[in-house]
Amino acid sequence: MASLVEMSNIAKAFGGSIALKSVSLALTPGSVHALMGENGAGKSTLMKILAGVHQPDAGEIRIKGERVTFARPKDAIAAGISTVFQELSLLPNLTIAENMFLGREPTGWLGTVDYPTMNQLAERALAELGLSLDPRTLVADLTIAERQFVEIAHGIKADANVFILDEPTAALNAADVEKLNRQIRRLRDAGKAIVYISHRMDEIFAICDTVTVLKDGELVGTKPLAQMTPDRLIAMMVGRELKDLFPPRATELGEVVLDIRDFRIDAAAKSFSLSLHKGEIIALAGLEGQGQQKLLRALVGLFQPAAGTVSKGGTTLPLPASAASGIRRLQAARIGFIPEDRKDEGLFLGLPVSHNITMALHAGRPSLALAKPYQREIAETLASLQVKSAGSEAPVASLSGGNQQKVLLGRYLAADMDVLLIEEPTRGVDIGAKSEIYKLLRRFTAKGGAAIVLSRETIELIGLCDRIYVMHANTLVGEMPAREATEHRILDAALVA
Amino acid sequence: MILADKTWQRLRRIPPSYLVFAALLLTLWVLRPHMMNPNILGIFIRQIVPLGILVLGQLLVMRVRSIDLSGGGVILLINYYISSGLFPGASMMTFVAMAIATGLVIGTFNGVMIAKRRVSAVIVTLAVSIVLVGFVQYLSSGKPPGDVPAMFAALYNTKLLGIPTPVLLWIVLTLLMSLFLARTVFGRAVASVGENLSAAHFSGVAVERTVIVAHILAGLMAALAALVQTASIAVGSVRVGLDLPILAVAATILGGVVFGRGEGGVWGPFFGVLSFALLFILMTTLGVDEPGKLIIQGFIILLAAIFYGVRSAKP
Amino acid sequence: MPPSSPDHPAQPMKPSYLKWLLGQGSRQGLWSLPLFIALAIALGLSLTTQQFTSTGNLFNLITQAMPLIITAIGQMFVILIGGLDLSVGSVISLSTAILALGGPAYVLIPAVFLLAALIGAVNGLVVTRLNVHPIIATLSMQYIVLGVTRILRPVSGGTVPDIVIASVSGTLLGIPLPVFWGIAVLLLSWKLLHGARFGLHLFAIGGGIASGMEKVAHNFGVAERRNILLAYVTCSCFAALAGVFLAGRIVSGDPNVGLLFELDAITAVAIGGTQLSGGVGSLHGTVIGALVMALLANGMNLTNMSPFIQTTVKGAILLLVVGLQSRKKMGL
Repeated sequence: MASLVEMSNIAKAFGGSIALKSVSLALTPGSVHALMGENGAGKSTLMKILAGVHQPDAGEIRIKGERVTFARPKDAIAAGISTVFQELSLLPNLTIAENMFLGREPTGWLGTVDYPTMNQLAERALAELGLSLDPRTLVADLTIAERQFVEIAHGIKADANVFILDEPTAALNAADVEKLNRQIRRLRDAGKAIVYISHRMDEIFAICDTVTVLKDGELVGTKPLAQMTPDRLIAMMVGRELKDLFPPRATELGEVVLDIRDFRIDAAAKSFSLSLHKGEIIALAGLEGQGQQKLLRALVGLFQPAAGTVSKGGTTLPLPASAASGIRRLQAARIGFIPEDRKDEGLFLGLPVSHNITMALHAGRPSLALAKPYQREIAETLASLQVKSAGSEAPVASLSGGNQQKVLLGRYLAADMDVLLIEEPTRGVDIGAKSEIYKLLRRFTAKGGAAIVLSRETIELIGLCDRIYVMHANTLVGEMPAREATEHRILDAALVA
Repeated sequence: MILADKTWQRLRRIPPSYLVFAALLLTLWVLRPHMMNPNILGIFIRQIVPLGILVLGQLLVMRVRSIDLSGGGVILLINYYISSGLFPGASMMTFVAMAIATGLVIGTFNGVMIAKRRVSAVIVTLAVSIVLVGFVQYLSSGKPPGDVPAMFAALYNTKLLGIPTPVLLWIVLTLLMSLFLARTVFGRAVASVGENLSAAHFSGVAVERTVIVAHILAGLMAALAALVQTASIAVGSVRVGLDLPILAVAATILGGVVFGRGEGGVWGPFFGVLSFALLFILMTTLGVDEPGKLIIQGFIILLAAIFYGVRSAKP
Repeated sequence: MPPSSPDHPAQPMKPSYLKWLLGQGSRQGLWSLPLFIALAIALGLSLTTQQFTSTGNLFNLITQAMPLIITAIGQMFVILIGGLDLSVGSVISLSTAILALGGPAYVLIPAVFLLAALIGAVNGLVVTRLNVHPIIATLSMQYIVLGVTRILRPVSGGTVPDIVIASVSGTLLGIPLPVFWGIAVLLLSWKLLHGARFGLHLFAIGGGIASGMEKVAHNFGVAERRNILLAYVTCSCFAALAGVFLAGRIVSGDPNVGLLFELDAITAVAIGGTQLSGGVGSLHGTVIGALVMALLANGMNLTNMSPFIQTTVKGAILLLVVGLQSRKKMGL
C-alpha cells in the first residue's frame, strides 16, 4: 500500500550535538507503527520534526507523495498530523476545552470565541475516549491520569490522518491502557496512520504492526513485528548484547548505609520501609509517577512526605527536610542528589567544566572563605570520567550530551559522597556513554559507595542494579533481586498490588 | 572561517563599555580638546563616584538575576537625616554608622522579600524607594532641608596620592568587590546562581542566602554612595540621587553584566560609569538640555540591553 | 487515582461558593477579598466623614478613579503574559502634551493613539524579537518618551481641544460623562479579554510562562510573538486613553501628570488578584483594585492627609500586595 507519510534522510543537530543522522520512516494508512529506541535515540526529535516543532537540517517529508515543509506546528496540524506529546503539554490555567481547542477555537459573531460549541465538542471528544469530565474544569484541578487522557483526547483530532502518540501510557494503569488501545484500533481501522512510542514491550506487541528502531540518532531498521521477539527487539535497540553493556553486579554487600523506615508519601498511601547497603545499587521501578520520584525528592526536601524516618549509618536525618536547605543538609551527611534534567536542574551550561565539577565542593565551605583551586580534584575527576573535552576551562555547553551527563555525575563523585540518589542516570546520552556511566557507578559502589536509581528505562534498572523495589500508588509493592527481574515481572508486581 | 568565528566571539565578549568609553573619549578630544585635562576630568569623575559605588551593588544583584532600584530612596533618606539638623551635634562617625545601618536594613528587607517571598525584585525595590521618598518629602514638607556638616565637604575635597579621595574610595571598593567575587566561595555561589538557579540549588549552594547577601551588600553600597553624594552637594535636597539607580542599571549593562551573566566582571561596569561621566561632560559642553539627556540615557540603556539580548538569543 | 470512566464516573465538581470566592477552580485570581476591602473602606469613610456620601464626592471619585482604571486594565493585558510596562506613565504625559499642542481634535486624537500604538509596538518588538527583558525595555522607553514629552511641553500649559474637555466634564441625561467612559472602557476590554481569541491566547501564553511550559502555546498554533506585541500595543493605547481623559480633566498638557502612574497601575492590578507571574487574573478584579486605590486616595484627601505621606502609603500597599502573592520564580 502507498505510504501516507514518507520522511526520508532526515538529519537534525542541536548546536554541536547531532540528534538525527539520515533517518527515514514511512507510515502506511491503517497501521500502527512502533518507534523504538532508548532515551536519546532520536525518537522524540523525529516526531517533533513531523509535528512541525523542529525543522530538519536535511531530508524531506512527503505526505501522499507531495513534498511538504512545516515551519511551525500549525502547519503540521493543518496537514492532518496530530500529536500527543510526551511532556505534559496542557496549560494548567486553561479549562479542558480551552486546552483542546487552543489555536483553533471556534469563533462566532465578531470573532467572539464560541465557548458553548467549544465545550460541547470537547465533551464529545472526551466521551469518545470514555471520559465523563466536565470540559469547563481547569486542568490544574485534574489528577495526573486524567490529564494524560485529556492530553490524548487533545491530540486525537477528528480530522487528522496521522497520529503521533509519544509515550501516551507512561502514567496509565492496565485498564486505562486497554481503553486507549481500543481507541488506537478504532483509528487504525478507520485507515489512519499511527506512530506509537512506548517503552513497554508487551504494549508494542499487542497493538503495533511494524517497528522502526533508532539508536544514537541513526536508523537501525524497520521490521514487521510478526517477525520479531522481545529479545531481538531489545538487541536491536541496544545494539549489543546486554551483558556487554552493563558491568557485573556487586558480589558482596556491606552493612546498611541508608535506612528508610515507616515512610508514607502522602496521608492516603500505605507506609513502607527500605534499606540500602554499602556497595549496592538499588532501583525504584514501576509505572511512571507512582511515587518513586516523590520518595527521592522527599529526602532532599522538595516534597513533604506524610511520615517516616531516614537514617544514614546510624544517625537520623531530619524529616521533613526544608526545601531551602534540604540538599545542603544531605550533602553535609555525604549524600548526593543528581537531578534528572541535566540542562535545567543539573549543569551550569555556560560555565567551565571545572566550575561544574567543583561547585558541590565549594558549597560545603563557608561563604567568606577563599575558594580553593581544587586542581587535583578536577584533574582526577576528569581522568576517571574520561571526558573528551577541550579542557577543564571549556564551557559545559560545548560538550556532547554524554559528556555533560558524566560531568554532572563527576560533581558528586568529586565531592566524595557515600550515597548517591540518582534520577535518570543516562537520559539522552548515547550507548557508549551509557556503558561508561554504568561503569563509573559500579566503580563508585565498589569503593564502598551506594546508590538509589530511578529510570524510565526498565532495561537499564534491571541491568545496572542489584535489587529492585517496585512502587505503585505511592507505596512499595514488591522487591526482587535484579538478576531474576524481567520487565514483565516488574509490571506484574506493580499491577497485582 | 573558524578562526574568524573565534575572534568574533572573543570580540563580542568585550564589554561594550570599553568601546563606548574609547569612542566618547575620542569624540571629546575632537570636539572639545581643551577638556582633555586631568584636573577637569578629575572633577567630573569625582562627581560620578556615587554612581560608581552604587553600580558595585547593582552589578552584584544583577549577577544573581535580581535588580535594586531602591538606591534613590536610600540616598535621599540618608541625605535627609544628615542635612536636616534632626540630630544636632551628631559626629560624622555617628552619621556614617547610621547610614550604613540604614543601607543594611533596607538591603536585608529587599533581599528577604525577593529571595524568601519571591516577590518581583523590580516591584519591591521600586516600592521601597517610593516609600522612602514619600517619607522624606513628608518629613521635609517638600522643602529642601538645611546644610550638611562642613566635615563632609572638607573630606570630599581632599586628595590622597594626588587622586581625589572619593575617586580613590571608589577604586578601592571596586578592587575589593573584584577580589571578593573572584576569590571567595561566595563569588562562586554568585556565578552559579546567576547561571542556573536550580543547578545551584542542586549543587548545594544556599541560593536564598546568596541572593539575600547580595542585596545586603547592595544596600551597603547605596549607603556609601549616599554619603559621598551628600558630601558632594553639601546641602540637603529632596531630589538628590533619584535617577541614580536607573543609571546604575544602565552602566552595569553597558559594562557587560546583565541578569545572570557576569562576563564584564567588575571593571566593565567601572568603565560603564566612566562612560557616563564622559557622556555628561559631552552633553553639558554641547548644550544638550534635560529632555535630551533623558532621551539619550533611555537609548543607551535600550541599546546596551538589545546588544545583550541579541547576543544571548538562542541560535 | 484512576481516571474517570463509564464504570467510575468522575465526581462532578460541586459548585462551592467558598471556592469561587477564593478564586479557586478559575483563573480569575483572588478578587473577592479586595472587593470586601473596597466596601469596607467605603463604609468606613461614609461613617467617619460627612462628605464621602455626597453625590459630588462620589462623582468626583469616579472621575478621579477613571484614569487609573483605564491604565490598570491596559497594564493587566501585559501582566497576564508575565510582562510589565513601566512606560505607561510617560505615555500618559505624552498624550496630554500632544493634545495641548493646539490644533483640531480630529488630528490630535488620532495622533495620540497612533503614537501610543507605535510606542507599544516598539516595546513589544524589543521584547519579542530582540530578547530584552520587558522591564528594561519599557524602562528605557519610559525615559525616551519622558524626554520627548518635556521637549514638547517643558512645563504644564497649552490648550486642549474643547471636545476633550467636554467629554469628561459634561453630563448626559443627568449622568456625568465619565460614567459613560467607564462603560465604554469596560465593554472594549471585556471584548478583548473574554470575547476574542486574543484574550484567551494571552492567558495561554501567560499560563505557559508561569508554569515553565513556555513552548506549549506556540506548539499548538498560538501566534505567541504577535499576541505579546499586541498586548503591549493594547497597554500603551489604554494609557493614551487615560491621557486623553486626564487632559480633559486638567485642561492642559502636563509633562509630570503621569509620573509614577505605572506603579499605581501595577498596584491596582496586583490588588485585584492578578498574578504578576502571568496567566491568572480578571478584568473585574483589576477594576476593583483600581477602586481600592481610588477610595484610599479619596479617603486620604477627605481626612486631609499630607500628599507626601500618601505616596508612602501607596508604596507600602504595593509592597504588601505583592508580598502576599507567592510565586515560584525568584528575581526580576
